[in-house]
Amino acid sequence: MAVKGLKTKDQHIINLANIVNSPRSILYQKEDLLAYDCDGFTIHKHLPRAVVFPKNTEEVARLVKYCHEHDLPFLARGAGTGLSGGAIPLNGEVIISLVRMKKLLSVDLENRRAVVEPGFVNLKLTNSISDKGYYYAPDPSSQYCCTIGGNVAENAGGAHCLKYGVTTNHILGLEVVMPNGEIIEIGANGIPDAPGYDLLGLLTGSEGTLGIVTKITVRILKNPEAKQTVLAYFDKVADGSQAVSDIISAGIVPAALEMMDKTAIEGVEAAAFPVGHPKDIEAVLLIEVDGISAGIDEQINEILDVCKKRNVREVKVAQDEAERGRWWANRKTGFGAMGAISPDYLVQDGVIPRSKLPIVLERINQISEEYGLRISNIFHAGDGNLHPLVLFDARIPGETEKALAAGSACLQVCADVGGTITGEHGVGIEKREEMRFVFKDEEIIAQTDIREVFNPKNLLNAGKLFPTPGRCVEIKKEMKAASTAAN
Amino acid sequence: MSVREMDIKADPSCTTNSLSNYLWSDPPDENKWADCVHCGMCLESCPTYEHTGQEQHSPRGRVHLIKSVAEGKLKVNEMFADPVFQCLDCRACTTACPADVDVGGLIEEARGQVRQAMPLTGWKGTVSKAILEGLFPHPNRLDSLGGLLKFYQKSGLQKAVRKTGLINIMPKHLVEMESIMPEIKESVRKKYKNENVIKAKGESKHEVSFLTGCVMDVMFGDINEATINVLTRNGNDVKIPKNQTCCGALHVHAGDRETGRKLAKQNIEAFQDSEKIIVNAAGCGCMLKEYPELFREEPEWHEKAEEFSKKVEDISKYLYDTGYEKPKAEINKRITYHDACHLAHGQGIRQEPRDLLLNIPGVEMVHMPNSDRCCGSAGVYNITNPEMAGAVLESKMENVPDDVEMISMGNPGCMLQMAIGVQKYGRNQQVVHTVQLLDWAYQKEDEGKEGK
Ligand SMILES: Cc1cc2nc3c(=O)[nH]c(=O)nc-3n(C[C@H](O)[C@H](O)[C@H](O)COP(=O)(O)OP(=O)(O)OC[C@H]3O[C@@H](n4cnc5c(N)ncnc54)[C@H](O)[C@@H]3O)c2cc1C
Ligand code: SF4
Ligand code: SF4
Repeated sequence: MAVKGLKTKDQHIINLANIVNSPRSILYQKEDLLAYDCDGFTIHKHLPRAVVFPKNTEEVARLVKYCHEHDLPFLARGAGTGLSGGAIPLNGEVIISLVRMKKLLSVDLENRRAVVEPGFVNLKLTNSISDKGYYYAPDPSSQYCCTIGGNVAENAGGAHCLKYGVTTNHILGLEVVMPNGEIIEIGANGIPDAPGYDLLGLLTGSEGTLGIVTKITVRILKNPEAKQTVLAYFDKVADGSQAVSDIISAGIVPAALEMMDKTAIEGVEAAAFPVGHPKDIEAVLLIEVDGISAGIDEQINEILDVCKKRNVREVKVAQDEAERGRWWANRKTGFGAMGAISPDYLVQDGVIPRSKLPIVLERINQISEEYGLRISNIFHAGDGNLHPLVLFDARIPGETEKALAAGSACLQVCADVGGTITGEHGVGIEKREEMRFVFKDEEIIAQTDIREVFNPKNLLNAGKLFPTPGRCVEIKKEMKAASTAAN
Repeated sequence: MSVREMDIKADPSCTTNSLSNYLWSDPPDENKWADCVHCGMCLESCPTYEHTGQEQHSPRGRVHLIKSVAEGKLKVNEMFADPVFQCLDCRACTTACPADVDVGGLIEEARGQVRQAMPLTGWKGTVSKAILEGLFPHPNRLDSLGGLLKFYQKSGLQKAVRKTGLINIMPKHLVEMESIMPEIKESVRKKYKNENVIKAKGESKHEVSFLTGCVMDVMFGDINEATINVLTRNGNDVKIPKNQTCCGALHVHAGDRETGRKLAKQNIEAFQDSEKIIVNAAGCGCMLKEYPELFREEPEWHEKAEEFSKKVEDISKYLYDTGYEKPKAEINKRITYHDACHLAHGQGIRQEPRDLLLNIPGVEMVHMPNSDRCCGSAGVYNITNPEMAGAVLESKMENVPDDVEMISMGNPGCMLQMAIGVQKYGRNQQVVHTVQLLDWAYQKEDEGKEGK
């Protein structure tokens, strides 16, 4: 049926509108599109050709098929909270927004799994099952808003992933629309570790370049019997990071072990959820242990001991759920809180061996001085996932470039100490070039070859995840030539 | 359609002023959007995003578009007006935003620009003129039944009221339903027009001035009476300054900032000698507290507005802070509480009204999930954007627990909207103002004493 009321003659728009069957399910005018020119990464901006809002897998498949047949670049978008630009339409893509596919399809407590549509918001899953004593473990700080589809694409992590693992450890099955419009199911019965290649693992974290996820079966967990949360203030960063290492070496596996540095503390205290951290400390640790009630108190005592040995200035245990909630809100809104002390920020996402933290922070400090930009650090300390936030003002000429260079320098530091360039935010546009810090050209080509199997026309989310082809294509040609010569 | 490169690097920096497509004075404040880091943490708090899933109808999208106009990427036109006016002004995003971005302020400023660029025409123009200019600024017009009727006829509310049967659950009907309710139909402004001060019962401890509100005083005269009763009972002398007028919230929400300023000035002068200004309508209270926003370009009035706004207090918070006598009579009711947006998000008042209710013996409080989600009333939004208002109301009503007898709240606009909701979805809750319940409890206590 032809959709009425469109104000365009663009035949592609009309055809796409017919697939979603409503003028309200497509945006194509500049004013509306402008709101989609970036995601949580604001340094690159580009207008999409259109944004479409399918209601079901069927519509997604038809949209994709249409784009595939007509060579229109396209990409999937969830809540657009991604921090590496994965949902930015660099090539004027048709954006397929999944936010209207936001149903919780089923909950199977007996087998501890739930099935959701991709636009279902992360935190809503826990909220829907918490009264029955269950929760969904991966808890990115953006969980109030980000979608589980986006989490799968980015293999999102969170504060509690130290003990419970990241998104990929909680995905049991996916329904995916392939870049040619075909619908496939992987791990349909929710049975983990099916024989054959681990396609679930490949798709999770593929940053929306291999297919569009339209249904997700996730693992849900029983709420831990008990939980204790501790705040510890350190005068010296080195002491704080040493305490982190000591806690882990003592054999304790905290559910979460978070750190913020001085500038980060200034930000969260100036923002909407302050909790009264002292301003003159160098590091705060937020530590949570959970599990069966027996033993929790001992673990807490052990943690308190470790902190004292490392010259902690003050350490306290949350008195009730309300206090615990305030501490977590303060931490989880940490990125946005930077808005209170800086007009713009660029968040980096390096991973480092925990033991290297003091030296890495020292080097980041030098980078900050060198570039004349403040850098605050929020750190999933337990698993070594460091988020340096480069604070800048895009209105000042040249500052954006400086921030990018400073951010890249931070990642170089992480790679140099034996770490890597992304823990959970993905590569997207932002860290394409930095992929070279950790992969050789041949290794990058091996990966783009995999993409080609799924996404041969490269219409789906092109230009993300891997460095711009230029050099790679050349190398590929050389490799080909070499292999033909050898034959 | 060609693809446009919007890379910000191409933009000459620091030239926003010359590129800006805001052509009138009092434009959206650059410092407000500079706080926004585009993180998206506000998305799920926004009712219009919930119902459309569209970024331009989200707080982040709105801020982005408002900024884009200043950067010369967009013009102030119909397409820009749509997201800006679909906003409910519910301020839920302000609560959610970790960076404390004043989205509400930006939107009101943007509306001011839209209204100057494209004055309203057609029926919306007529209605808005009739209500905003012809009625609200003139309390005596509102007072007279004639004015009320005119307001009804011109605004289309009459139809709405008849259709929904709202008329049946208006205060008069409540009087019949609830024997403990006082029988007052007169506006307090009329009733006390010859009294300089309404004296405290017993010893006077404080003196407060009372903003009667325009709609509040006419449609909900009984709530105003209850407010005065509660204040005087707790040792407050109450003054009703004569020259006070409509707070201007509806005008400012509609983008008519000029009338907003006029009304603000009149109120600032009318309450010049007051120490404390008590308000029982969340929407008005929030507006009064935000008067300084209106005078960013008039330093002299800005200062006066600052001083004025510090004196404004919601009745529930005032009672909570200054202490009040806990009622002794029982009101055996199951009650749920709805957080009016302009109380919870606008003024950060959540616990105080709940406390008033919990302190009434016999009251059983039932938690309403998402209690601080907008009901869709939002001033005259339910008239200008009926479809969205309806969708928002439907979600709200789904959250009202089945087995409660009353829904309590602190804002007359919400009361009307919730009453429509009760009627429309075949529910049977009574819609009451928090302060009314406290007053009823006091009255019941007194009746008990007299009975002895
Ligand atoms: C304040 C803040 C805090 C954050 N904290 C964390 C954190 O603690 N841990 C963490 O891991 N991340 C964090 N992030 C990053 C971000 O929230 C996550 O990457 C999240 O998973 C993105 O989800 P989304 O729905 O917003 O996806 P989007 O941003 O819309 O999309 C992200 C990518 O996924 C693709 N995609 C989206 N949906 C689908 C789908 N259905 N099928 C295929 N591809 C899809 C897109 O094409 C894009 O490439 C944070 C972000 C912010 C703004
Ligand atoms: S308004 Fe606040 S919450 Fe929303 S995107 Fe901007 S900074 Fe984030
Ligand atoms: S005020 Fe309410 S409707 Fe408007 S943007 Fe904020 S949350 Fe959305």
